[in-house]
Amino acid sequence: MSGAGRVLSLIAAISYALILAPIVVVVVMAFSADSFILFPPSGFSFRWFQTLVANAPLMKALGLSVQIALVVTLLSLLVGVPAALALEKGEFRGREALRGFFLAPLLLPTLIIGLALLLFFTPLRLTATLPGIALGHMTVTVPFIIRMMSTAFATLPENVEAAAATLGAPPWRVVWRVTLPLAAPGLIACAALSFLLSFDETVISLFVSGPRASTLPVEMVRYVEGRTDPMIAALSVLLIAGTLAIVIVVERLVGVRRAVGQS
Amino acid sequence: MAYLELTGLEKRYRDAVAVADVTLAVEKGESVALLGPSGCGKTTTLRMLAGLAAPDRGRIAVDGTDITDLPAHRRNMGYVFQSYALFPHMSVARNVTFGLEERGVAAKERAARAADALEMVRLKELGHRRPRELSGGQQQRVALARALVIRPSVLLLDESLSNLDAKLRQTMRREIRDLQRTLAITTLFVTHDQVEALAMCDRIAVMNHGRIEQVGTPADVYERPATRFVAGFVGSVNVLPATRDGQGGLAVWGMPIPGIASFAQGDADVFVRPQRMRLVAASENVAPDVPRLKGKVAQSIFIGDQVETVVSGEGGQVTVQSLSGAPTPQAGTEVQVVWKVEDTLIFSREAS
Amino acid sequence: MTSARWPLLAIPAALLLAVIYVWPSLDLFRTAFNETGATGAMIEAFSLKVWRDLLADPFTYELTVNSLWLSVTATSIALCVAYPIALFLFRTDTRFRGLLAVMAIMPMLVSGVVRIFGWLTILGDQGMVNSAARWLGLISTPMRLLFNWTGVTIGLAESILPYMILALLAGFGRLDRALEEAARSLGASPLRTFVRVTLPLSLPAIVLAAGLGFVLSMSAYITPKLLGGGRVFVLATEIFEQATTNANWPMASAMALYTLVLMLAFLGLSSVLSRRLAQ
Repeated sequence: MSGAGRVLSLIAAISYALILAPIVVVVVMAFSADSFILFPPSGFSFRWFQTLVANAPLMKALGLSVQIALVVTLLSLLVGVPAALALEKGEFRGREALRGFFLAPLLLPTLIIGLALLLFFTPLRLTATLPGIALGHMTVTVPFIIRMMSTAFATLPENVEAAAATLGAPPWRVVWRVTLPLAAPGLIACAALSFLLSFDETVISLFVSGPRASTLPVEMVRYVEGRTDPMIAALSVLLIAGTLAIVIVVERLVGVRRAVGQS
Repeated sequence: MAYLELTGLEKRYRDAVAVADVTLAVEKGESVALLGPSGCGKTTTLRMLAGLAAPDRGRIAVDGTDITDLPAHRRNMGYVFQSYALFPHMSVARNVTFGLEERGVAAKERAARAADALEMVRLKELGHRRPRELSGGQQQRVALARALVIRPSVLLLDESLSNLDAKLRQTMRREIRDLQRTLAITTLFVTHDQVEALAMCDRIAVMNHGRIEQVGTPADVYERPATRFVAGFVGSVNVLPATRDGQGGLAVWGMPIPGIASFAQGDADVFVRPQRMRLVAASENVAPDVPRLKGKVAQSIFIGDQVETVVSGEGGQVTVQSLSGAPTPQAGTEVQVVWKVEDTLIFSREAS
Repeated sequence: MTSARWPLLAIPAALLLAVIYVWPSLDLFRTAFNETGATGAMIEAFSLKVWRDLLADPFTYELTVNSLWLSVTATSIALCVAYPIALFLFRTDTRFRGLLAVMAIMPMLVSGVVRIFGWLTILGDQGMVNSAARWLGLISTPMRLLFNWTGVTIGLAESILPYMILALLAGFGRLDRALEEAARSLGASPLRTFVRVTLPLSLPAIVLAAGLGFVLSMSAYITPKLLGGGRVFVLATEIFEQATTNANWPMASAMALYTLVLMLAFLGLSSVLSRRLAQ
């Protein structure tokens, strides 16, 4: 007998059902014809998708969230990738301390980061602004990118960069012609995941958003707090589809488990 | 002054000493092997030469110029890595032209030189392929072409053949040696394989514990090893614990070893290579100035063109290697083991 | 060597994090020693008044007990689900292993609000569970599964699951299939093999995963907020209330630090315990 065994497989299947239940249920709900949450729905329709598209605050928040996620991803890559390079290629004193410093924010709950940012941003009038929310998200995405790209750079094929150097390429040319192209799959996966991290970020956004500017998850929380109708399910289907697309890309490139796992 | 000079090189990793004190001079066009067991510091020495590791002490000079502090990309050394380290995202041709591009060589000349280099390693047709589409031997040749096309001042080979199978290794050995001779390129190569070292170089530097124990021609190192380590590492050898007889001479298994000039104090071992030993019948009269041992044949092992005969005596066992084909004595037969005086090597026993 | 210049590349990231992470964190720490005036405005001070208020208030203890109890139950439930999945993923040789692994951590990648909406649908008065129970004739009036501790615990357990699966998988390194096979060959039944070999060997991983689940539960805000429907009070929800609705920053900061200390204590405990068990 090899593999997992029958009993374990059965227990695992039940556990999987529990994990995936909320997601599956949401997808069914999205096509409900009812005006409130009734499961199973008494009929099916696309009415909640139409309602969703007509909901101005949510659509506006969706636009802002996409905008913020793009800005956050771009900026985080710009500062995170060089930092990861420094950690992996440089041999300098205090390197491990620096690594610890970069990864520390991942250990602090977003609840506390969010609160700290609220205190910090309010006097600077950065709350409920695009730059404020973006900076808030970067406390999560920058450490994440540094961690993931350090692993990517550390696991490049042996000696390939050294070979480039012996062939006459100065360090920055080695990075440009060898390191980055070889780390490209990791880089793309990293960008995709940091987009998701920013797009889905809720707690920090709740602290630093406001009526002037709020992201999609924040608007969703507000909506769910007030009403319970299947519109959020319709929106969720779109988000799940988007997430799935990104996850498939990442899985193809580097493997999701390696990407999100504690390296 | 020699073309390539390493003087007092030292490298530590935290508390571990990788290279203790390496001094070596290599003439232009010469091929020198750094031979030693794994962990002896040979690869670290090579990496320091290429600028991939910074020495803690010592200097490196090529053609009279000190290059100790020069970064790797300005040293102009061709390095062939054990894993080949080909760029997986570039075609074979692009791999070969990489160094030329970095040197700003014009496209036309680049193409011509790369084609020459690939032809030299007999891979002219495969320039468009990706490295992973090549066999191990072909990848090895690409790595060689890539290192040679930049016309390096020194060619460095790091265990370059160890990933190939035995047969291919033999072919590549000859090919690399031929190329090295034709191009008259100064070459330093690292290996733990003594056959490779003996076959591919003009001189061998035997390394142990971060130091060079002996430098010499293959024959020198084999026939006149300077230390116990060299004697044991290069070629196979019988180690025979010696006792002192009354007159300051040495005896093995109770038999005095003739032809030995007086030996310094302390315990010593006699080293004799199995190929230099001969079996003769117990009854045969051996001249008194010929070193000999007496014993019984324990077993004979047929290893192709050679036969190894293990002889047991009162002080232990010796292995005698002889050409196969001749009749071998049965196990249990009383025999004498003889060898020439000049094949006797004596080393004092280390304190450890 | 030019390698001396590599650290320069880390400067932008270091500066950025200093500004958006270190400085605000210090700010939070400092704020916890300010005072709140009668009007609710913050007064710059250096006093322990807020701390005295916080620690003297019986509500703090109620919140603490609530938070601890919720975290312990959610973590325990999550562990029971995460362990078989992790063990299955660790052992399976199916070619769908990659897909199954992605499915296991999918909830981590899907927005939390989406999953909470799923639970609203499953646990609501006219949701999946109640409909099924009614159809089976088990109940006549709907069970209250939402907007109370039951709903929050279930939702929270699910939200920490993927993290715990990953932690378990990372810790399963010492689990050698050969040891189990050896036990089987010596005549142990599958159940006894599990109890005597598999479970003890994976204990360090379990403790570590539990520590992680606990910390994540303690700081979870959205799940208690939305599935609790304003009727479930824990430290996290109170911190948010104090910070936003009440705008009592010193109190919010003090409570955040208080929660952080509790979490660190538990995390430390679990890692010490895990290391002990691993020996």
